Amino acid sequence: MTNSAPEIEDADCILVTGSNTSENHPLISSRILRAKRKGAKLIVVEPRRIHLARFADVYARQKPGTDVAWLNGLVHIILAEGWEDREFIAARTEGIARLREQVAGYPPARVEAITGISPAQLREIARLYASAARASIVYAMGITQHTHGTDNVLALANLAMLTGNIGKRSSGVNPLRGQNNVQGACDMGGLPNVLSGYQPVADPKVREKFEQAWGIEAAGGGSGSLPAKPGLTVVEMANAAAEGAVKGMYIMAENPILSDPDVNHAREALQNLEFLVVQDIFLTETAALADVVLPGSSFAERDGTVTSTDRSVQRMRRAIDPPGAARADWEIVCDVANRVQRNTQHATRGWNYTSPSQIMDEIARLTPSYGGMSYERLEREWLRWPCRSLDDPGTEFLHQGQFTRGRGLFTPVDYREPAEKIDEQYPFILTTGRIVFHYHTGTMTRRSPSLEREVHAGFVELNPDDAQQRGIRDGEMVTVASRRGKIEIKAQVTPTVSRGVVFIPFHFAESAANVLTTRALDPVAKIPEYKVCAVSVDRCQHPEVVMKCQV
Amino acid sequence: MNYRTVLTICPYCGCGCGMYLPVLDGCLGRPIPDKTHPLSQGRLCIKGWSAHEHVASKDRLTKPLVKTQGEFKEVGWDAALDLVAARLLKIREQHGPDSLAFLCSAKCTNEENFLLQKFARAVIGTNNVDHCARL
Amino acid sequence: MNTPEVEIRERVRQLLDDDRLPGVLGLRAEHGHVGPHVFNSADDLTALVLEPRYGMALVCQAILDGSPKGRLGVVARGCDERALIEMAKLGQVDLARLVLIGLACSEQQARECMCTRPYPRRIDVGEKVAGVAPGDDARVQQLLAQDVQARLAFWQSEFNRCIKCYGCRNVCPVCICDACVLEEMCWVERGKIPPELPFHLIRAYHIADKCILCGACESACPVDIPLTTLYALSQARLKELFDYEPGLDVTQKSPLTTTLEETPLHEL
Repeated sequence: MTNSAPEIEDADCILVTGSNTSENHPLISSRILRAKRKGAKLIVVEPRRIHLARFADVYARQKPGTDVAWLNGLVHIILAEGWEDREFIAARTEGIARLREQVAGYPPARVEAITGISPAQLREIARLYASAARASIVYAMGITQHTHGTDNVLALANLAMLTGNIGKRSSGVNPLRGQNNVQGACDMGGLPNVLSGYQPVADPKVREKFEQAWGIEAAGGGSGSLPAKPGLTVVEMANAAAEGAVKGMYIMAENPILSDPDVNHAREALQNLEFLVVQDIFLTETAALADVVLPGSSFAERDGTVTSTDRSVQRMRRAIDPPGAARADWEIVCDVANRVQRNTQHATRGWNYTSPSQIMDEIARLTPSYGGMSYERLEREWLRWPCRSLDDPGTEFLHQGQFTRGRGLFTPVDYREPAEKIDEQYPFILTTGRIVFHYHTGTMTRRSPSLEREVHAGFVELNPDDAQQRGIRDGEMVTVASRRGKIEIKAQVTPTVSRGVVFIPFHFAESAANVLTTRALDPVAKIPEYKVCAVSVDRCQHPEVVMKCQV
Repeated sequence: MNYRTVLTICPYCGCGCGMYLPVLDGCLGRPIPDKTHPLSQGRLCIKGWSAHEHVASKDRLTKPLVKTQGEFKEVGWDAALDLVAARLLKIREQHGPDSLAFLCSAKCTNEENFLLQKFARAVIGTNNVDHCARL
Repeated sequence: MNTPEVEIRERVRQLLDDDRLPGVLGLRAEHGHVGPHVFNSADDLTALVLEPRYGMALVCQAILDGSPKGRLGVVARGCDERALIEMAKLGQVDLARLVLIGLACSEQQARECMCTRPYPRRIDVGEKVAGVAPGDDARVQQLLAQDVQARLAFWQSEFNRCIKCYGCRNVCPVCICDACVLEEMCWVERGKIPPELPFHLIRAYHIADKCILCGACESACPVDIPLTTLYALSQARLKELFDYEPGLDVTQKSPLTTTLEETPLHEL
C-alpha cells in the first residue's frame, strides 16, 4: 500500500475494485466504512455484488477481465472534462501526451460495449474520483490475477497520477495483500528475480554485496558466486517439474496442490519430482506427496517479524512451545543449510543464528528499506518500511515529493481479452476468490471448528436466471467443468453474480476451484488468470439436495 | 496457576491485526484483541477470534516423517535432516543447482523467508525461489 | 496527591506482599502496547497502567476456571464489578475467590463510555462521579425522537455492516450459554454476511435482563455498530418497568426469569 491502512478512514473518495474487502481484509474495510460515515464517497467496481456494494455511492458491475477498458474510459472522461490535476502532472509526471492519445480510443460507448458499465455510471465515477481532494484506490487480486494484471495496475496508476491522488496522506494506490506475511516474503527476496528489498539478482553490484556478506567468495568451493539468472516463478516451477527440468523441491508452509492453477497438473508435476521435502504444521495435500515432511511451528509458537499490507513490520511472539518434536521453522532451515554445507566445501557464513533477532540484524545490514529496523526499535516504535537508518522513523505513505524513478511515468495500456473465452460448451465465466470464514487453502481454517461451522463445504454462486434456465435449484449439487477438469459442488443461487458469471471460493479441497482454473499467466508478473476461465455448469445426474435447516 | 498474555499478530490476512494470546498453565485460550494496535484497535474478524483453534488440532505434525514404499514413517530429526541434505546435494551434483526449486511462505516470518532464500541462493546456488504471492 | 495509577500500584503491592495473594489482574504496558496481565510480584508494578479500559471479568473467569482453588486480585472498575456480580448470579464466577480493588472512573471516562454508574460499590482509588443518565446520550435522544419505522430502518442499516465476527458475543461477560443459539442454523443462517436481523435481536433479548452496559461489545465491533445504544434503551425500559438494574447485588434476581415454584402458572 502506498498509504498506511489507518489513513484510509480520512480519504474523501475511495474506489474499491478487485477487492472483496469486508470478507478478505475486514479490518481495512472497517476503515473504509468509517470514511463513508465521515462523508467520503464510496465507489465499488466489482463483477460480484459484494458486501461493500451495499454502502457504495456508485456500484458498477464490470464483465470479468475488462478492467483496462473502464479504467482507460475514466481517464478519457477526466481528460475530456478537464478534471485532471494539471499542476501535479506538470510537476511530477511524464508521458501525458501518449496517454491522452491512447485513451482517445476509449469513449464511454465503447467502454460500455466491452465492460457493461453504462456511460452515465462511468461519468459519475470519474467525477467523484477526480473531484475529491484525497481519493484512494483500494484493490486486490481481482485486479492482478489476470493475464493483463500488470496492465490493470498500470491503468490504476495512470488514473491516480492523472488526478494527483498519490503521495499524499489518505490518497494513493493501495493493493491489499492477502496473507499475514505475503508482503514480508516478497520483501525478503522470496521471489525468483530479487534478493531482499527488491535488489535484482541480475545486478552484479547487488550480488557482490551479498557474496561478501555471506562469505561466498571466501569459501572457495561451489560456483564461488551467487547465481545471476532470475529463477522460476511458482507456476513455472510446476511446469518445469512436469517436464523434468526441476527434480527436487523444498516447500516451506505452502500448499500449491490447492493454490496453483490447474491443480491436476500441479499434482502430476510434484509427483514427477525425484525428491520433495515439505515443512508444515499439517499433512497438507502437498505434504502428502512429499518424501520427507518436517514439522514446523504454528503462529502461536512463532518468534519473528511479519510485514503487513501497509508495510508495518510487527513482532510475533512465541506464546507456547510447538507440539512434540516440532520446531521453529528458522531453526529447521539453519539445520538443513548446515548439513548441506558439511557435505561440501562450499561454505557460506552465518548459519549459526541463536535468535530471530540476529537474523533481522543481517536483514537490516543487507536490505536498504529495512536498514533501520531492529528488534530493539520494534519494541518501542511502529516502523513501516522504507526505514533506512536508525534515526529514520519509517514511512507512513510513499511517493511524497517524488517517485522512486523521479517523475511518474504514464504508461498507456490497451485492453486485451482474457486468455480463455466462453463458447457453447463452456458458456460461463468462472471467477475465484475467498470468503470471510476461510483462508487460502483452508489448511488452518478448515481445522477451526468455529469457522467450519459457518461454512463447511465449497459452493458455486450462480445467477437465478441462469439457474432457472438450467433447472438448477438452490442447494443442489451441480457439476462444474472446464477444459482442465471437473468438480461436483453445491449450487448457491444468488444475484451476487450476474448472468453468465459464476464464483467459487478456492478453500475447499473436496471441490477445489483450482481443478478448473487456467495456467495462463500475465507475461510480466507471471500471475495466473484465476479471475477468468470458461466453465460449464450442469445438474448432477442424481442431485443430492442439501437441507437448509439442520440444527 | 500460571496465566500469561503474549502479544502477537493474527496469522491470517495481510491486515496484521494485533492480539494477545492468553496462556493458562500451558494451554492457549481465545485471543484477546489488542486495544492499542493502530489498525485493529481491539477488534478482529471471525478468523482472528478463532485463530487459536487450529493450533491445538489433533492433526498437528509432531515428528518428522519419511516416506518409504509409499508410507510415512516417523523418524528422528537427525535422520530426516540428513536425508534432506543428502538428496538435495545428490540432485544438485547430478543435474545442477537449477534442478532444485524452493517455495518460501507467506505464513512464515521475515526471518524464515530470508533464510530459505539465502539457503537456495547462497548454499544451493539457484534463484528458483518463489512463494504464493501471486496465488 | 498521587495519580490513580500510583495509588492502584500501591494497593496491588499490598495485596501481593502483605496479603500474600498469588496474583493480581490488571493492565500492563509492554512492547509499546497494553493488555491484561496477572502481576505476581511487586517488582514489575511500574508497568501497571489503567488505560485503555479492557473488560476484566471474562479474564477473571478464565483464570479461576483454570485453577480449582486460590484467590485472585483484580483491578475492577464499576463495569467490571457489575459484570462479576452478574456472572456470579449466573454461577459463572465465585466472588469469594476474588479480591477487588475498586477503581472509580473520572467524569471524562464516564462520558466516553456513556456509563450510567462509573464506580464500583467499594471505591479504593478515585473519586465517585455521577453517571451519565441514559437520556443524556445524544444518540439515544435522536432515536427516541423518531417513529418505530424510522428506528427499525436505522438499526437495519447499522446491522447491514455486520461481518459476523461474533466479537460482541465473545467479549460479553453475561453471554454465557454453553451452546450459542447464534450458531444454530434454524435461528441464523450460517456462513452469510451480513447475518439476518435475528442475530442481533437474539443477542439483545438474551442479555436484556443481564446487560450491565460495559460497552465491551461496541468497542469490539469492527464495523462500529452502536450496540450500547441499543442495549441502553432496553435497560432503561427494564428499570422503568421493574425498577431493576443488573449487576448491583448477587441476591437480586432478574424480574424476567422466575420458576414455577416461585410463581405458579395459575397466578400469572
